[in-house]
Amino acid sequence: MRIEKCWFCSSAVYPGHGIQFVRNDAKIFRFCRSKCHKNFKMKRNPRKVKWTKAYRRLHGKDMTQDSTFEFERKRNRPERYDRNLTENTLKAIKTIDKVRSRREAKHIETRKKGKKAQLMREAVKELEQSISLVKAPSVLEEDKSYTLPKIKVKVSEAEAKNQPMEE
Amino acid sequence: MGGKCPHRNVKKRRYSHKTHRRDKFLVKGDDMVYDQLKKPDEEKKPLPVDEDLPGMGQYYCLHCDRYFANVAVRDEHFKTKRHKKRVKQMMGPAPHTQLDADIASGMGMPDNGPKLMSM
Repeated sequence: MRIEKCWFCSSAVYPGHGIQFVRNDAKIFRFCRSKCHKNFKMKRNPRKVKWTKAYRRLHGKDMTQDSTFEFERKRNRPERYDRNLTENTLKAIKTIDKVRSRREAKHIETRKKGKKAQLMREAVKELEQSISLVKAPSVLEEDKSYTLPKIKVKVSEAEAKNQPMEE
Repeated sequence: MGGKCPHRNVKKRRYSHKTHRRDKFLVKGDDMVYDQLKKPDEEKKPLPVDEDLPGMGQYYCLHCDRYFANVAVRDEHFKTKRHKKRVKQMMGPAPHTQLDADIASGMGMPDNGPKLMSM
């Protein structure tokens, strides 16, 4: 028996669950629960609804490209029963699942890292630009401790020569 | 949109939205319209004459799936905001399909086995 995927949210639809809609051009739409069915009837685009897998994939929230995605497929070719093969497959499912969950956790970790650096950059910029809201500019001139120290960057000679050319 | 209710004296329920609701389901799905638009020009057939449709079914807007009484009305429709929005939507990426849903859930491309008949 096949475990289908919901048209709207891409979650698994187990036998006896959800609802199926067959349009008059014979296209099948499966839904895992009434929530997804209602959203479909409202003509919502799954790519624009934040809680669906399609949205999360599109916006880089989830891992997209990975070799573990190659195993689960819709196989439209009947497989001849083989006891050893079945046993091996069942064993492999466990390991693959473990590998995938580990990679997914790593993906989330890397996403979080970038955010911290970005927040820091934004905070520094805001401090530079709007320190005058906290302290008057005259105070800043008197007390140097409020301004960030200027960073000296060495400019190579070739670059220094090129600059007047731009004007 | 929607016709008038017989009970005009009841202030709260003045209009019935039944017809509007029904029309909503008669409109073609986004993916069907998209497929129609993607078809090359040679495959497109001339519109069949249907006396039940407005203007004998000769003045049709493919984007909005609507029939019009004559050319003037149809051209007026082409100028509307709703039509332009629809055209813009159809120019964008292809509508969501079951295959997209499968791939988003972490499945690979479907495996149909080797081709049995070589053409």
